[in-house]
Amino acid sequence: MRRGRSVAQYAVVLWVAVTLNFALPRLAPGDPLEFVIGAELGALTPGQRERVVREVGLDRPVPEQYARYLAGITRGHLGRSIRSGRPVADVLGERLRWTALLAIPALLITTVLGTAVGAWAAWRRGRAGDLPLLTGILLLDSLPVFWIAMLLLAAFAGQLGWLPPFAALALPSSGASRGWAVATALVFPVAALVIAGFGHTFLVARAAMLTTLGEDYVRTAHAKGLRPAAVVFRHALRNALLPVYTHAALSLGALASGAVVVETVFAYPGVGRLIFDAVAARDYPVLQGAFLLVVVGVVAANWLTDVTYPLLDPRVRAATPGTSRAGAHPRGPAVAA
Amino acid sequence: MRATRLLGGGAALLAVLIVLAVAGPALAPYDPASQVSPPFSPPGAGHVLGTDDVGHDILSQLLAGARASLLVGTMAATTAMLVGVTVGLTAGLSGGAADFVLMRLVDVMLTLPFLPLAIVVSVFAGPGIGTEIAVIGLVLWARTARVLRAQVLAIRGQEYVVGARAIGAGTPRVLARHVLPSALPLVVPELVRAASAAILLESSLSFLGLGDPTVASWGTMLFYANARSAFLTDAWVWWVLPPGLCIGLTVLAFALIGFAAEERAWPQRGGWVRTPASRR
Repeated sequence: MRRGRSVAQYAVVLWVAVTLNFALPRLAPGDPLEFVIGAELGALTPGQRERVVREVGLDRPVPEQYARYLAGITRGHLGRSIRSGRPVADVLGERLRWTALLAIPALLITTVLGTAVGAWAAWRRGRAGDLPLLTGILLLDSLPVFWIAMLLLAAFAGQLGWLPPFAALALPSSGASRGWAVATALVFPVAALVIAGFGHTFLVARAAMLTTLGEDYVRTAHAKGLRPAAVVFRHALRNALLPVYTHAALSLGALASGAVVVETVFAYPGVGRLIFDAVAARDYPVLQGAFLLVVVGVVAANWLTDVTYPLLDPRVRAATPGTSRAGAHPRGPAVAA
Repeated sequence: MRATRLLGGGAALLAVLIVLAVAGPALAPYDPASQVSPPFSPPGAGHVLGTDDVGHDILSQLLAGARASLLVGTMAATTAMLVGVTVGLTAGLSGGAADFVLMRLVDVMLTLPFLPLAIVVSVFAGPGIGTEIAVIGLVLWARTARVLRAQVLAIRGQEYVVGARAIGAGTPRVLARHVLPSALPLVVPELVRAASAAILLESSLSFLGLGDPTVASWGTMLFYANARSAFLTDAWVWWVLPPGLCIGLTVLAFALIGFAAEERAWPQRGGWVRTPASRR
């Protein structure tokens, strides 16, 4: 029941994104045709213009346009790039691999690092240094991601000269050196995303750990004489990991936002840089396609978390869906419903 | 105790920023929008932080940026609160189908990634400070709506409210006497949280070239610094470092106040439990 409903909810998110893409060019000030073919519009003769309008279907009633648009989306028709004339779906396909190559390591490193440090901070809570630590984490969370990226370049590429600044721009086309070059190109962007995402994961892990450390079974573990480190890392951490897991998937939206600006700074050839270039060139079809792709990614990650969560938490697995035990899900029924 | 210290730190920081934003034009040595000296001048006589790629005085731009960031941040956060509070109260009080539809809308808004959504909408709406405020307000209201609705539902179930209804108090009276007084204090931490998120979003949009071209905001300064690869030269010290630090300190000021306000509004949560302002 709960899972069935959440699939319906994700379908609604996708539908809203698609509908937004359909509505924006038609609601925005200016000629909707400009959003299909770009600034060339002014150079068209009335006859050519009429032909293009008919080709694109803008002369038909809006409900029919909408139906055709939806049908096209399901077949992967996202229009053509104004700048290059290529199908948007092809452009996105090329860029997606690069963003996955960046986002997956960033997410893994952030989660592992944030959890370890967060659990450690929960364990030593109340001792000196708690307040400076909180302030430091809040400051880290307050810094713009793109600025962190620029400072990384300033320090390690500009001043120290350890790595080339825009390594992703000059990759060798093949051979063993390519793998190494790609890895080099990933260092800075991944580091920027990890630094930016660390604070959040840390706070979630710390909070989850504090809750778990207050449980009876932890007191029992202490009472039977286990070492404090064993109690924290072997007994408590397992349960505290559940909210962290949920957070990791939900933070994919934040990661996508971070990737847009970080890829822009590093001239990294992913979806984020594509969005920046599309904004600069007012390449509307590419921008809309990229937006839809990001939404699909976020929705897929959310759904994957829902599906895999019972594998991690036997309590959820044992509970009959739809009963009160659904409340054991840390996101609570309000989100899961 | 801890809340007080955080609040003090955040309030002091914010006060300094407000003074700079208000007195900025009087303090600024030059007009931030006019070319006053050769481009790419390092710091020196007359220009404490040097000049940018077209010869604007960077210190003057920094002062003007305080005004832009605080204006957009607070206006967008206020917009988000107006929408969020209205939706939250409506959903919580009416229940039924309206509640269901509004809360599904909240779910959708919270699932959509904020920055890509804001980018797409602002590109179509065209640049301008009004667009920026509206777009940022539009992507930030959902959290508040959910918080307020939960509080309204909690209060409606309280025995004293059930009692008040039993002795004949109508909906307007229950709303004015019981629901609003205990729901509205929650708006304060939400507002502060939304303001810090709004300032970060504004800086990201401006950094991507979607800011108001006539307003020198910190994000716009970094957009030009990035376009000219200023971070690879010595200019990173006076052109890249200051605007980012200003954004960070402004967001931090709001985050500290928000944290303290939250510890007071939700004492049962023990403060440092929830995560800071979302960057999504």
